[in-house]
Amino acid sequence: MSAGDRRVRVHPGAPGPGPGAGVDRDPERAAVVVARIALVATVVVGQLWALTVALDAYFEEDMRVVWWLVGFEVVSFLVALGVWLMAPGER
Amino acid sequence: MVRASRGPSTDEAFERIRADAPVTRRDYLRILVTISGGLALGAFAVAAGVFPRRTGSAGAKKIADALAAGTSVTFAYPGPDDRAIAMRLPDGMLVAYSSICTHLSCAVLWEAPNEELVCPCHHGRFEASTGRVLGGPPPRPLPVIDLEERADGIYAVRARVV
Repeated sequence: MSAGDRRVRVHPGAPGPGPGAGVDRDPERAAVVVARIALVATVVVGQLWALTVALDAYFEEDMRVVWWLVGFEVVSFLVALGVWLMAPGER
Repeated sequence: MVRASRGPSTDEAFERIRADAPVTRRDYLRILVTISGGLALGAFAVAAGVFPRRTGSAGAKKIADALAAGTSVTFAYPGPDDRAIAMRLPDGMLVAYSSICTHLSCAVLWEAPNEELVCPCHHGRFEASTGRVLGGPPPRPLPVIDLEERADGIYAVRARVV
């Protein structure tokens, strides 16, 4: 029997997760998911930075910079969306 | 006496529920992508002008008959909620700024002895003669209100960023 998740306890005769629940059954797939999360999290941090700069530029009435940053935000979102969509079975 | 068998304790039951329905890594990915979309929409909202800038012209507005050196007057310009302050500096220079701090929108106060505008909330300091930031957290100078001295008084004519 697999060691399993420490949170999972087996209660004979009771409903609930059985032995092995909560364990990465395919560690390589899990690693890919974690890599995708790291990638999207990095994109989101970049977007947060861009939003603060865009807000500052807006108040300085520098709309050229604001629109460039809107473009950056949209491209970043498309990257995040692409990372999410790249593995349809994993959503 | 037959005693009914007890089920799992409340803690155990919650622990089992958590184990049954955890937030998965795929859920985290979906949440992050949703946040990413929200930030992109937020940038559009900024560009579309959801935040008031408190600049522009609302025509000439009389703010005072006269201002002696070392005195100030508060008024609203260009909109009725856009608080502003006009000052006659000790050297005779007449200046006016939005009195809304560029940090978190507290009202700035004029400290005549130091010739500074000071935000009491987070100790932002602005130079009275230019409106530029001298210290503290404000990220931008105060918007300048252009004034005109006419025969019948002092008028605000335009608010602009510098």
